[in-house]
Amino acid sequence: MGTEYASAVSAVRAMENLLFTHSDLEQLINARTQNEFNTLISAKETGGLAEVWDMLMTYAPDSRELKILLYRNDFHNLKAVLKAMISGREPDEYFIEPSNVSAELLKESFRTRNFDILPEYMSETASESYELLTRTLDGQLADTFVDTSAMLAMQKSAEDFGGDFMRKYVQIITVCADIKTAYRCSKMHKSREFLESAVCGSSEIDRESLIRATLGGTENLISFLEHTTYNELAQFLKESPAKFEKRCDDMVIDLAEEARMKSFGTEPLIAYYIAKEAEIKNLRIISVCRESGADNQTVRERLRKLYV
Amino acid sequence: MGLALAILGASLATLFAGIGSAKGVGLVGEAAAGVVSVDPNKFSKVLILQLLPGTQGLYGLLTAILMLSRIGIIGGNAPELTTAQGIMFLGASLPIAIVGLFSGIAQGRAAAAGVGITAKKPEHNGKGIIMAAMVETYAILALLVSILLIYNIAI
Repeated sequence: MGTEYASAVSAVRAMENLLFTHSDLEQLINARTQNEFNTLISAKETGGLAEVWDMLMTYAPDSRELKILLYRNDFHNLKAVLKAMISGREPDEYFIEPSNVSAELLKESFRTRNFDILPEYMSETASESYELLTRTLDGQLADTFVDTSAMLAMQKSAEDFGGDFMRKYVQIITVCADIKTAYRCSKMHKSREFLESAVCGSSEIDRESLIRATLGGTENLISFLEHTTYNELAQFLKESPAKFEKRCDDMVIDLAEEARMKSFGTEPLIAYYIAKEAEIKNLRIISVCRESGADNQTVRERLRKLYV
Repeated sequence: MGLALAILGASLATLFAGIGSAKGVGLVGEAAAGVVSVDPNKFSKVLILQLLPGTQGLYGLLTAILMLSRIGIIGGNAPELTTAQGIMFLGASLPIAIVGLFSGIAQGRAAAAGVGITAKKPEHNGKGIIMAAMVETYAILALLVSILLIYNIAI
Protein backbone atom coordinates (compact mmCIF):
# COMPACT_ATOMS: atom_id res chain seq x y z
CA MET A 1 0.00 0.00 0.00
CA GLY A 2 2.16 2.82 -1.27
CA THR A 3 1.62 6.47 -0.59
CA GLU A 4 3.51 7.87 -3.55
CA TYR A 5 2.56 11.13 -5.19
CA ALA A 6 0.28 12.28 -2.33
CA SER A 7 0.88 15.92 -3.21
CA ALA A 8 0.53 15.35 -6.95
CA VAL A 9 -2.77 13.54 -6.49
CA SER A 10 -4.17 16.28 -4.24
CA ALA A 11 -3.08 18.96 -6.65
CA VAL A 12 -4.71 17.07 -9.50
CA ARG A 13 -7.92 16.73 -7.49
CA ALA A 14 -7.98 20.48 -7.00
CA MET A 15 -7.39 21.02 -10.69
CA GLU A 16 -10.13 18.63 -11.70
CA ASN A 17 -12.54 21.29 -10.50
CA LEU A 18 -11.33 23.49 -13.32
CA LEU A 19 -12.22 21.00 -16.04
CA PHE A 20 -15.20 21.78 -18.26
CA THR A 21 -18.38 20.27 -16.86
CA HIS A 22 -21.50 19.19 -18.73
CA SER A 23 -23.16 22.52 -18.10
CA ASP A 24 -20.08 24.40 -19.28
CA LEU A 25 -20.13 22.47 -22.54
CA GLU A 26 -23.86 23.02 -22.85
CA GLN A 27 -23.29 26.76 -22.53
CA LEU A 28 -20.64 26.57 -25.23
CA ILE A 29 -22.98 24.68 -27.54
CA ASN A 30 -25.68 27.26 -26.98
CA ALA A 31 -23.40 30.27 -27.33
CA ARG A 32 -24.99 32.57 -29.89
CA THR A 33 -21.97 34.51 -31.06
CA GLN A 34 -18.34 33.60 -31.57
CA ASN A 35 -17.54 36.31 -29.08
CA GLU A 36 -19.65 34.70 -26.39
CA PHE A 37 -18.03 31.34 -27.21
CA ASN A 38 -14.55 32.78 -26.82
CA THR A 39 -15.42 34.53 -23.56
CA LEU A 40 -16.75 31.29 -22.10
CA ILE A 41 -13.58 29.45 -23.02
CA SER A 42 -11.20 32.08 -21.72
CA ALA A 43 -13.22 32.37 -18.48
CA LYS A 44 -12.07 28.84 -17.60
CA GLU A 45 -8.42 29.79 -17.96
CA THR A 46 -7.38 26.19 -18.39
CA GLY A 47 -4.07 25.52 -20.02
CA GLY A 48 -3.37 23.08 -22.80
CA LEU A 49 -1.85 19.64 -22.55
CA ALA A 50 1.66 21.05 -22.46
CA GLU A 51 0.83 22.96 -19.27
CA VAL A 52 -0.76 19.87 -17.75
CA TRP A 53 2.33 17.90 -18.59
CA ASP A 54 4.63 20.51 -17.05
CA MET A 55 2.55 20.41 -13.91
CA LEU A 56 2.66 16.61 -13.72
CA MET A 57 6.41 16.66 -14.19
CA THR A 58 6.81 19.22 -11.40
CA TYR A 59 5.02 16.95 -8.95
CA ALA A 60 6.18 13.58 -10.23
CA PRO A 61 9.45 14.14 -12.08
CA ASP A 62 10.73 10.64 -11.36
CA SER A 63 7.85 8.72 -12.89
CA ARG A 64 8.94 6.74 -15.94
CA GLU A 65 5.45 5.36 -16.17
CA LEU A 66 3.82 8.72 -16.91
CA LYS A 67 6.17 9.24 -19.83
CA ILE A 68 4.45 6.39 -21.68
CA LEU A 69 1.54 8.81 -22.18
CA LEU A 70 3.71 10.86 -24.51
CA TYR A 71 5.10 8.05 -26.65
CA ARG A 72 2.49 8.69 -29.30
CA ASN A 73 3.53 12.33 -29.53
CA ASP A 74 7.19 11.34 -29.71
CA PHE A 75 6.55 8.97 -32.58
CA HIS A 76 4.33 11.52 -34.28
CA ASN A 77 7.25 13.94 -34.17
CA LEU A 78 9.46 11.25 -35.59
CA LYS A 79 7.07 11.00 -38.53
CA ALA A 80 7.26 14.78 -38.88
CA VAL A 81 11.01 14.58 -39.29
CA LEU A 82 10.66 11.81 -41.86
CA LYS A 83 8.04 13.81 -43.73
CA ALA A 84 10.29 16.84 -43.69
CA MET A 85 13.10 14.74 -45.15
CA ILE A 86 11.02 13.92 -48.20
CA SER A 87 9.48 17.33 -48.70
CA GLY A 88 12.72 19.15 -47.95
CA ARG A 89 10.92 21.45 -45.52
CA GLU A 90 11.56 22.12 -41.88
CA PRO A 91 9.68 19.70 -39.62
CA ASP A 92 8.87 22.26 -36.93
CA GLU A 93 5.38 23.07 -38.11
CA TYR A 94 4.35 19.41 -37.73
CA PHE A 95 5.74 18.97 -34.24
CA ILE A 96 3.36 18.50 -31.37
CA GLU A 97 3.89 19.13 -27.70
CA PRO A 98 4.15 17.86 -25.00
CA SER A 99 6.75 15.26 -25.85
CA ASN A 100 9.51 13.39 -24.06
CA VAL A 101 11.98 13.95 -26.86
CA SER A 102 12.60 17.56 -27.76
CA ALA A 103 12.35 18.63 -31.38
CA GLU A 104 15.99 19.69 -31.25
CA LEU A 105 17.19 16.28 -30.13
CA LEU A 106 15.14 14.56 -32.79
CA LYS A 107 16.44 16.81 -35.55
CA GLU A 108 19.97 16.44 -34.22
CA SER A 109 19.75 12.65 -34.33
CA PHE A 110 18.66 12.71 -37.96
CA ARG A 111 21.25 15.30 -38.93
CA THR A 112 24.09 13.28 -37.42
CA ARG A 113 22.51 9.88 -38.19
CA ASN A 114 23.19 9.07 -34.58
CA PHE A 115 19.97 7.55 -33.32
CA ASP A 116 21.48 6.32 -30.06
CA ILE A 117 21.00 9.76 -28.53
CA LEU A 118 17.24 9.10 -28.58
CA PRO A 119 15.53 7.23 -25.74
CA GLU A 120 15.81 3.46 -25.97
CA TYR A 121 12.17 2.96 -26.90
CA MET A 122 12.48 4.90 -30.12
CA SER A 123 16.11 4.79 -31.23
CA GLU A 124 15.74 1.56 -33.16
CA THR A 125 12.52 2.70 -34.81
CA ALA A 126 14.16 5.96 -35.81
CA SER A 127 17.11 4.25 -37.41
CA GLU A 128 14.99 1.60 -39.15
CA SER A 129 12.45 4.09 -40.44
CA TYR A 130 15.24 6.26 -41.78
CA GLU A 131 16.72 3.30 -43.55
CA LEU A 132 13.30 2.26 -44.85
CA LEU A 133 12.54 5.70 -46.18
CA THR A 134 15.87 6.20 -47.91
CA ARG A 135 15.59 2.74 -49.47
CA THR A 136 11.97 2.84 -50.63
CA LEU A 137 11.13 6.59 -50.66
CA ASP A 138 7.67 5.41 -49.61
CA GLY A 139 6.37 7.87 -47.02
CA GLN A 140 3.24 5.91 -46.23
CA LEU A 141 5.19 2.74 -45.56
CA ALA A 142 7.52 4.56 -43.19
CA ASP A 143 4.57 6.22 -41.44
CA THR A 144 2.85 2.90 -40.93
CA PHE A 145 6.03 1.38 -39.60
CA VAL A 146 6.44 4.22 -37.10
CA ASP A 147 2.79 4.03 -35.98
CA THR A 148 3.04 0.32 -35.32
CA SER A 149 6.36 0.75 -33.53
CA ALA A 150 4.79 3.40 -31.28
CA MET A 151 2.12 0.94 -30.18
CA LEU A 152 4.66 -1.80 -29.62
CA ALA A 153 6.86 0.55 -27.60
CA MET A 154 3.89 1.52 -25.41
CA GLN A 155 3.05 -2.12 -24.87
CA LYS A 156 6.60 -3.00 -23.96
CA SER A 157 7.13 -0.11 -21.56
CA ALA A 158 3.74 -0.63 -19.92
CA GLU A 159 4.68 -4.26 -19.43
CA ASP A 160 8.15 -3.42 -18.10
CA PHE A 161 7.44 -0.60 -15.67
CA GLY A 162 3.80 0.35 -15.93
CA GLY A 163 1.16 -0.38 -13.34
CA ASP A 164 -2.06 -2.22 -13.90
CA PHE A 165 -3.88 0.96 -14.85
CA MET A 166 -1.30 1.97 -17.44
CA ARG A 167 -1.35 -1.52 -18.94
CA LYS A 168 -5.11 -1.34 -19.34
CA TYR A 169 -4.82 2.10 -20.91
CA VAL A 170 -2.25 0.91 -23.42
CA GLN A 171 -4.39 -2.13 -24.12
CA ILE A 172 -7.38 0.03 -25.06
CA ILE A 173 -5.28 2.37 -27.17
CA THR A 174 -3.60 -0.43 -29.11
CA VAL A 175 -6.74 -2.51 -29.60
CA CYS A 176 -8.65 0.52 -30.91
CA ALA A 177 -5.80 1.47 -33.22
CA ASP A 178 -5.55 -2.08 -34.54
CA ILE A 179 -9.27 -2.36 -35.19
CA LYS A 180 -9.33 1.01 -36.89
CA THR A 181 -6.43 0.04 -39.14
CA ALA A 182 -7.96 -3.35 -39.89
CA TYR A 183 -11.31 -1.77 -40.77
CA ARG A 184 -9.74 0.73 -43.14
CA CYS A 185 -7.54 -1.92 -44.72
CA SER A 186 -10.52 -4.20 -45.26
CA LYS A 187 -12.36 -1.38 -47.03
CA MET A 188 -9.33 -0.62 -49.18
CA HIS A 189 -8.46 -4.27 -49.84
CA LYS A 190 -4.91 -3.88 -48.61
CA SER A 191 -2.43 -6.69 -49.05
CA ARG A 192 -1.29 -9.09 -46.34
CA GLU A 193 2.15 -7.54 -46.55
CA PHE A 194 0.79 -4.11 -45.71
CA LEU A 195 -1.35 -5.47 -42.90
CA GLU A 196 1.62 -7.20 -41.37
CA SER A 197 3.40 -3.89 -41.07
CA ALA A 198 0.31 -2.00 -39.87
CA VAL A 199 -1.21 -4.27 -37.22
CA CYS A 200 0.58 -4.59 -33.90
CA GLY A 201 -1.59 -7.14 -32.10
CA SER A 202 -2.22 -7.46 -28.39
CA SER A 203 -2.88 -10.06 -25.77
CA GLU A 204 -6.63 -9.63 -26.29
CA ILE A 205 -6.72 -9.62 -30.07
CA ASP A 206 -4.17 -11.84 -31.72
CA ARG A 207 -2.29 -10.23 -34.58
CA GLU A 208 -2.37 -13.15 -36.99
CA SER A 209 -6.09 -13.81 -36.48
CA LEU A 210 -6.91 -10.15 -36.98
CA ILE A 211 -4.92 -10.03 -40.22
CA ARG A 212 -6.59 -13.16 -41.50
CA ALA A 213 -10.06 -11.80 -40.63
CA THR A 214 -9.27 -8.50 -42.34
CA LEU A 215 -8.14 -10.21 -45.53
CA GLY A 216 -11.54 -11.90 -45.65
CA GLY A 217 -13.33 -8.55 -46.01
CA THR A 218 -15.17 -6.10 -43.74
CA GLU A 219 -18.07 -8.44 -42.91
CA ASN A 220 -15.65 -11.14 -41.97
CA LEU A 221 -13.64 -8.73 -39.80
CA ILE A 222 -16.73 -7.61 -37.90
CA SER A 223 -17.91 -11.14 -37.28
CA PHE A 224 -14.41 -11.99 -36.03
CA LEU A 225 -14.50 -9.04 -33.62
CA GLU A 226 -17.92 -10.10 -32.37
CA HIS A 227 -16.27 -13.20 -30.96
CA THR A 228 -13.61 -11.30 -29.05
CA THR A 229 -13.87 -9.43 -25.74
CA TYR A 230 -14.28 -6.30 -27.83
CA ASN A 231 -17.58 -7.44 -29.24
CA GLU A 232 -19.06 -4.09 -28.22
CA LEU A 233 -16.68 -2.25 -30.55
CA ALA A 234 -17.82 -4.43 -33.43
CA GLN A 235 -21.38 -3.23 -32.87
CA PHE A 236 -20.31 0.41 -32.98
CA LEU A 237 -18.23 -0.24 -36.06
CA LYS A 238 -21.30 -1.66 -37.78
CA GLU A 239 -23.21 1.54 -37.05
CA SER A 240 -20.53 3.96 -38.22
CA PRO A 241 -16.79 4.54 -37.95
CA ALA A 242 -17.49 7.86 -36.17
CA LYS A 243 -19.46 6.08 -33.44
CA PHE A 244 -16.68 3.55 -33.15
CA GLU A 245 -14.13 6.30 -32.60
CA LYS A 246 -16.30 7.95 -30.01
CA ARG A 247 -16.67 4.65 -28.18
CA CYS A 248 -12.88 4.18 -28.19
CA ASP A 249 -12.42 7.57 -26.55
CA ASP A 250 -15.20 6.85 -24.08
CA MET A 251 -13.61 3.54 -23.13
CA VAL A 252 -10.49 5.42 -22.09
CA ILE A 253 -12.58 7.75 -19.93
CA ASP A 254 -14.40 4.76 -18.41
CA LEU A 255 -11.00 3.44 -17.43
CA ALA A 256 -10.06 6.82 -15.96
CA GLU A 257 -13.11 6.56 -13.71
CA GLU A 258 -11.33 3.74 -11.88
CA ALA A 259 -8.73 6.21 -10.67
CA ARG A 260 -11.31 8.39 -9.01
CA MET A 261 -11.22 6.38 -5.79
CA LYS A 262 -7.44 6.47 -5.48
CA SER A 263 -5.70 8.87 -3.13
CA PHE A 264 -2.14 7.89 -4.01
CA GLY A 265 -0.15 6.58 -6.94
CA THR A 266 0.07 7.43 -10.61
CA GLU A 267 -3.49 6.45 -11.58
CA PRO A 268 -5.14 9.80 -10.77
CA LEU A 269 -2.32 11.60 -12.59
CA ILE A 270 -2.75 9.50 -15.71
CA ALA A 271 -6.52 9.91 -15.45
CA TYR A 272 -6.20 13.69 -15.28
CA TYR A 273 -4.06 13.75 -18.40
CA ILE A 274 -6.59 11.54 -20.17
CA ALA A 275 -9.42 13.80 -18.99
CA LYS A 276 -7.62 16.84 -20.30
CA GLU A 277 -7.11 15.17 -23.67
CA ALA A 278 -10.83 14.40 -23.83
CA GLU A 279 -11.68 17.97 -22.87
CA ILE A 280 -9.55 19.38 -25.64
CA LYS A 281 -11.14 17.00 -28.11
CA ASN A 282 -14.61 18.07 -26.95
CA LEU A 283 -13.80 21.74 -27.34
CA ARG A 284 -12.50 21.02 -30.83
CA ILE A 285 -15.67 19.10 -31.71
CA ILE A 286 -17.87 21.97 -30.57
CA SER A 287 -15.73 24.46 -32.38
CA VAL A 288 -15.68 22.51 -35.65
CA CYS A 289 -19.42 21.88 -35.45
CA ARG A 290 -20.06 25.60 -34.94
CA GLU A 291 -18.07 26.41 -38.02
CA SER A 292 -19.81 23.81 -40.12
CA GLY A 293 -23.21 24.89 -38.79
CA ALA A 294 -24.18 21.51 -37.35
CA ASP A 295 -27.29 21.55 -35.15
CA ASN A 296 -26.96 21.29 -31.38
CA GLN A 297 -28.26 17.74 -31.21
CA THR A 298 -25.54 16.52 -33.56
CA VAL A 299 -22.90 18.23 -31.45
CA ARG A 300 -24.22 16.57 -28.29
CA GLU A 301 -24.13 13.16 -29.96
CA ARG A 302 -20.55 13.62 -31.01
CA LEU A 303 -19.26 14.83 -27.64
CA ARG A 304 -16.99 12.47 -25.72
CA LYS A 305 -17.68 11.40 -22.17
CA LEU A 306 -16.45 13.70 -19.45
CA TYR A 307 -14.35 12.91 -16.41
CA VAL A 308 -15.98 15.20 -13.87
CA MET B 1 18.18 -3.42 35.98
CA GLY B 2 14.52 -2.80 36.80
CA LEU B 3 14.94 0.95 36.47
CA ALA B 4 16.74 0.56 33.15
CA LEU B 5 13.86 -1.49 31.75
CA ALA B 6 11.33 1.09 32.93
CA ILE B 7 13.29 3.87 31.26
CA LEU B 8 13.47 1.82 28.10
CA GLY B 9 9.67 1.59 28.25
CA ALA B 10 9.30 5.36 28.53
CA SER B 11 11.65 5.79 25.57
CA LEU B 12 9.76 3.32 23.42
CA ALA B 13 6.45 5.08 24.06
CA THR B 14 7.92 8.38 22.91
CA LEU B 15 9.86 6.86 20.05
CA PHE B 16 7.31 4.74 18.28
CA ALA B 17 4.28 6.95 18.84
CA GLY B 18 6.43 9.87 17.68
CA ILE B 19 7.52 8.07 14.52
CA GLY B 20 3.90 7.19 13.75
CA SER B 21 2.84 10.80 14.10
CA ALA B 22 5.76 12.14 12.13
CA LYS B 23 4.99 9.81 9.25
CA GLY B 24 1.30 10.59 9.36
CA VAL B 25 1.66 14.35 9.62
CA GLY B 26 4.33 14.26 6.92
CA LEU B 27 2.13 12.40 4.49
CA VAL B 28 -0.86 14.68 5.04
CA GLY B 29 1.48 17.65 4.72
CA GLU B 30 2.58 16.42 1.33
CA ALA B 31 -1.00 16.01 0.16
CA ALA B 32 -2.00 19.36 1.67
CA ALA B 33 0.86 21.14 -0.07
CA GLY B 34 -0.41 19.77 -3.37
CA VAL B 35 -3.82 21.33 -2.84
CA VAL B 36 -2.48 24.62 -1.52
CA SER B 37 -0.18 24.93 -4.54
CA VAL B 38 -3.27 25.01 -6.73
CA ASP B 39 -5.67 26.76 -4.38
CA PRO B 40 -4.02 28.60 -1.46
CA ASN B 41 -7.44 29.46 0.03
CA LYS B 42 -7.84 25.89 1.22
CA PHE B 43 -4.91 26.17 3.62
CA SER B 44 -6.95 26.40 6.82
CA LYS B 45 -9.16 23.49 5.82
CA VAL B 46 -6.33 21.11 5.09
CA LEU B 47 -4.41 22.22 8.16
CA ILE B 48 -6.97 20.60 10.47
CA LEU B 49 -6.54 17.34 8.60
CA GLN B 50 -2.80 17.59 8.91
CA LEU B 51 -2.99 18.02 12.69
CA LEU B 52 -5.03 14.85 13.26
CA PRO B 53 -2.23 12.28 13.09
CA GLY B 54 -0.13 14.48 15.38
CA THR B 55 -1.87 13.34 18.57
CA GLN B 56 -0.19 9.92 18.78
CA GLY B 57 3.13 11.62 19.40
CA LEU B 58 1.58 13.62 22.23
CA TYR B 59 0.11 10.44 23.76
CA GLY B 60 3.57 8.87 23.66
CA LEU B 61 5.02 11.93 25.37
CA LEU B 62 2.28 11.90 28.02
CA THR B 63 2.84 8.20 28.73
CA ALA B 64 6.59 8.73 29.09
CA ILE B 65 6.15 11.66 31.49
CA LEU B 66 3.64 9.80 33.64
CA MET B 67 5.91 6.78 33.77
CA LEU B 68 8.99 8.80 34.64
CA SER B 69 7.15 10.56 37.42
CA ARG B 70 5.72 7.26 38.72
CA ILE B 71 9.16 5.66 38.95
CA GLY B 72 10.54 8.80 40.51
CA ILE B 73 12.98 9.83 37.79
CA ILE B 74 11.16 13.15 37.63
CA GLY B 75 11.39 14.40 41.20
CA GLY B 76 14.84 13.01 41.82
CA ASN B 77 14.27 10.09 44.22
CA ALA B 78 14.17 7.04 42.04
CA PRO B 79 13.57 3.88 44.08
CA GLU B 80 15.19 0.59 43.29
CA LEU B 81 12.98 -1.45 40.97
CA THR B 82 13.11 -5.21 40.67
CA THR B 83 13.57 -6.71 37.22
CA ALA B 84 9.98 -7.92 37.34
CA GLN B 85 8.73 -4.39 38.05
CA GLY B 86 10.93 -3.05 35.26
CA ILE B 87 9.45 -5.53 32.81
CA MET B 88 5.97 -4.49 33.95
CA PHE B 89 6.69 -0.84 33.20
CA LEU B 90 8.18 -1.82 29.87
CA GLY B 91 5.00 -3.78 29.14
CA ALA B 92 2.88 -0.79 30.15
CA SER B 93 4.55 1.32 27.50
CA LEU B 94 3.87 -1.09 24.66
CA PRO B 95 0.18 -0.35 23.92
CA ILE B 96 0.74 3.31 23.07
CA ALA B 97 4.15 2.63 21.52
CA ILE B 98 2.87 0.07 19.02
CA VAL B 99 -0.66 1.32 18.45
CA GLY B 100 0.68 4.87 18.26
CA LEU B 101 3.08 3.88 15.50
CA PHE B 102 0.55 2.14 13.31
CA SER B 103 -2.44 4.34 14.01
CA GLY B 104 -0.35 7.44 13.25
CA ILE B 105 0.52 6.08 9.84
CA ALA B 106 -3.00 4.82 9.15
CA GLN B 107 -4.54 8.09 10.24
CA GLY B 108 -2.11 9.90 7.97
CA ARG B 109 -3.35 7.88 5.01
CA ALA B 110 -6.98 8.52 5.89
CA ALA B 111 -6.38 12.23 6.40
CA ALA B 112 -4.40 12.48 3.15
CA ALA B 113 -7.37 10.93 1.37
CA GLY B 114 -9.52 13.51 3.18
CA VAL B 115 -7.35 16.21 1.66
CA GLY B 116 -8.54 14.85 -1.69
CA ILE B 117 -12.13 15.49 -0.61
CA THR B 118 -11.23 19.02 0.44
CA ALA B 119 -9.60 19.58 -2.93
CA LYS B 120 -12.47 18.30 -4.98
CA LYS B 121 -15.50 19.13 -2.81
CA PRO B 122 -14.49 21.68 -0.17
CA GLU B 123 -18.02 21.77 1.28
CA HIS B 124 -17.62 18.12 2.35
CA ASN B 125 -14.36 18.76 4.17
CA GLY B 126 -15.93 17.80 7.51
CA LYS B 127 -16.60 14.27 6.34
CA GLY B 128 -12.92 13.78 5.60
CA ILE B 129 -12.10 15.00 9.11
CA ILE B 130 -14.59 12.62 10.72
CA MET B 131 -13.31 9.64 8.79
CA ALA B 132 -9.72 10.34 9.72
CA ALA B 133 -10.69 11.01 13.33
CA MET B 134 -12.17 7.50 13.63
CA VAL B 135 -8.63 6.13 13.70
CA GLU B 136 -8.00 8.22 16.78
CA THR B 137 -10.23 5.91 18.85
CA TYR B 138 -7.64 3.17 18.86
CA ALA B 139 -4.80 5.44 19.84
CA ILE B 140 -6.93 6.69 22.77
CA LEU B 141 -7.77 3.14 23.85
CA ALA B 142 -4.09 2.25 23.83
CA LEU B 143 -3.22 5.39 25.78
CA LEU B 144 -5.87 4.53 28.35
CA VAL B 145 -4.49 1.02 28.89
CA SER B 146 -0.92 2.30 29.12
CA ILE B 147 -1.94 4.84 31.79
CA LEU B 148 -3.99 2.30 33.76
CA LEU B 149 -1.04 -0.06 33.78
CA ILE B 150 1.44 2.60 34.87
CA TYR B 151 -0.68 3.61 37.84
CA ASN B 152 -1.49 0.08 38.92
CA ILE B 153 1.95 -1.46 39.02
CA ALA B 154 2.88 -1.90 42.65
CA ILE B 155 6.19 -0.36 43.60
